[in-house]
Amino acid sequence: MNAKIKIRNLQKKFGSKTVLDNLSLEIFENESLAIIGESGSGKSVLTKCINGLTEYNEGKIIYENSYDVKNLKTEEKRLHISKFGVLFQNSALFDSLNVEKNIFFSCSEKKDFSILRDVGLDKSILSKMPAEISVGVQKRVGLARAIMSKPKILIFDEPTTGLDPVIADQINKLIRGLVIKKKLTTITITHDMKSVYEYADKVAFIKNGKIEWYGQVKQLKNCKNIYMKNFISGKI
Amino acid sequence: MQNFFTNLLYLPKNIGRLTYFFFDSIGFKFIFFLKCIKSCFTPDYYPDLVLKQIIKIGYNSLPVVGMTAIFTGMVLALQSYTGFSRFSAESAIPNVVVLSITRELSPVLAGLMVAGRAGAAIAAEIGTMKVTEQIDALKTLSTNPLNYLVAPRIIAGLISLPFLVFVGDIVGVFGGYLICVYVLNFNPEVFLVNIFNFVEFIDVFSGLVKASVFGLIITFMGCYHGFHASGGAQGVGLATTYSVVSSSIMILLFNYILTSIFFQI
Ligand SMILES: Nc1ncnc2c1ncn2[C@@H]1O[C@H](COP(=O)(O)OP(=O)(O)OP(=O)(O)O)[C@@H](O)[C@H]1O
Ligand SMILES: [Mg+2]
Repeated sequence: MNAKIKIRNLQKKFGSKTVLDNLSLEIFENESLAIIGESGSGKSVLTKCINGLTEYNEGKIIYENSYDVKNLKTEEKRLHISKFGVLFQNSALFDSLNVEKNIFFSCSEKKDFSILRDVGLDKSILSKMPAEISVGVQKRVGLARAIMSKPKILIFDEPTTGLDPVIADQINKLIRGLVIKKKLTTITITHDMKSVYEYADKVAFIKNGKIEWYGQVKQLKNCKNIYMKNFISGKI
Repeated sequence: MQNFFTNLLYLPKNIGRLTYFFFDSIGFKFIFFLKCIKSCFTPDYYPDLVLKQIIKIGYNSLPVVGMTAIFTGMVLALQSYTGFSRFSAESAIPNVVVLSITRELSPVLAGLMVAGRAGAAIAAEIGTMKVTEQIDALKTLSTNPLNYLVAPRIIAGLISLPFLVFVGDIVGVFGGYLICVYVLNFNPEVFLVNIFNFVEFIDVFSGLVKASVFGLIITFMGCYHGFHASGGAQGVGLATTYSVVSSSIMILLFNYILTSIFFQI
C-alpha cells in the first residue's frame, strides 16, 4: 500500500530547543492513526508540520508521493493546508462568531444542516456564541467545522482531554462513527488509551522527538517496548 | 586576568547584541508591514468586516476623542489668556487655539487615545486568536488571516482617524469658544470671524494626513504584536502593552517628521 504521507528524518527546532529529531513515519490512506506520547513531546507540533501550519528545519514530508511540504510556494501551501480538517486542542472556535457562522465558515453555497445531526447537535445551538456553550459541545462544533470543509485528512488534537468520562465516551463514539462511515484518513493525538482502542488502526508513540514504537493496535497487547508498556499502564 | 577581559568585553558585546536585535526587529516589522499592505490590495476582500472595524475603531472612539478635544480647547484658551493678557494680545487667543488644535493637538491626542483604546483591543483580540490557535484554524479553512484580520483593521484605521480628528478639530475649537465667550467675555462673532479668517486649508489638511498615518501606525502595531503573541494570557498582555507603547512613541515621532515636512521653515 502506498503511503498518503511519508515523513523522513524530520527535525523541528524552536530556537535552540529540538522538539522533533530524526523522526520518520508513514500515514496511509483510509487509515486511522493514533499518535500518543507524554505532554510536551511534540505531538501537536508534528501535526502542524504535516499540515503546513509550521515550518520545519530538516527532513522531508512527502504528500501522496508528489511534493515535499517544505518546498511549497504561498498559494500551493494554502491549498495544502486546506486539505486538512483540524479539531484543535482547545477547539479554537472563532469567539466573535456564533456557532452557525463557525460551522459554515468555509462554505459559501447552501448550508447543509444535516451535519448537525451527524455530530449530535440541536438546531437551537446555532445562535449561541462559543463562550456560552460547554467544552463538550464546543468539541462537537469544532468537529462539525472541520468536517464541513470536506478535508482529505482529519486531525483530532486531543479530542477527549478535559472532558468527563461520559462525554469523552460520546466524543469517541462520534469520531468512530465518522471515521468508519466516511472511510477517512485520520490522525488522532491523544493521551486517552480508550480513544485508541475505540477507533485507531495504528499507533505511533513519540518519545524524545522520535517514534519509539509503531504498530497495529492489536499488537499493543503483547508489545515488548518498556516505555510503551509503561505508558499504556500509566506507570513512569 | 581572563576575568578582566571578559568584563571588558561585556559592554561592547551587549551593545552589539542590542543593535543586532534592534535592526533585526525593524527588518522583521518592515517585512510584515509590506505583507499587510499587500493584503489590503489582494482578494479576498471583506467589506462587512471593514465596516465593523470602522464602527469599533472610529465611531466608538468618538466620545473619548470628543472629551479630550473639548477640554484641551478649553485649557488652551485659559492658558493663552494668562500669558497673552500680560502684553494685551488677547485677540490672538482664537488663532492660537485653532492652530494648535488643528495642526497638532487634535491629531496627536486622538492618535494616543485611539492607540490606548482600539490599538490595545486589536492586539488583545488578535493575540488571543493566535494563542488559542484560531489563526491556525483560519488557515485550515482556506482563509488568509492577513486578509481576514489585518486588512480590514488597517483600512478602517486609515479611514476612521481623519474623521475622528476632524470632529476633534471642531469640538476643540468649540471648547476654546466656550471659555473665550463665557469666561473671558469675548464677543462670539469676533471669535468666529477671527477663526475663519485665520485658519488655512493646510492647517486642517495636515492634521488629517497625520491622522491617517497615525491610524495606519495604530492598527499595524496592534496587528503586528497580536500576530506575534505567544505563551497564553501573559503573552497577550505583553502584546497589548507593546502595541500601545510602540504606537504611542511612533505617533510622536511621526508627528514631528510630518510637521517638519508640512511646515518647512
Ligand atoms: N511556538 C512555540 N515556540 C516555542 N516552543 C514551542 C512552540 N510550540 C511548541 N513549543 C514547544 O514544543 C514542545 C512540544 O509542544 P507540543 O505542543 O507539540 O506538545 P504536545 O505533545 O502536543 O503536548 P500536549 O499533550 O501538552 O499538547 C513543547 O515543549 C513546547 O514548549
Ligand atoms: Mg498538544
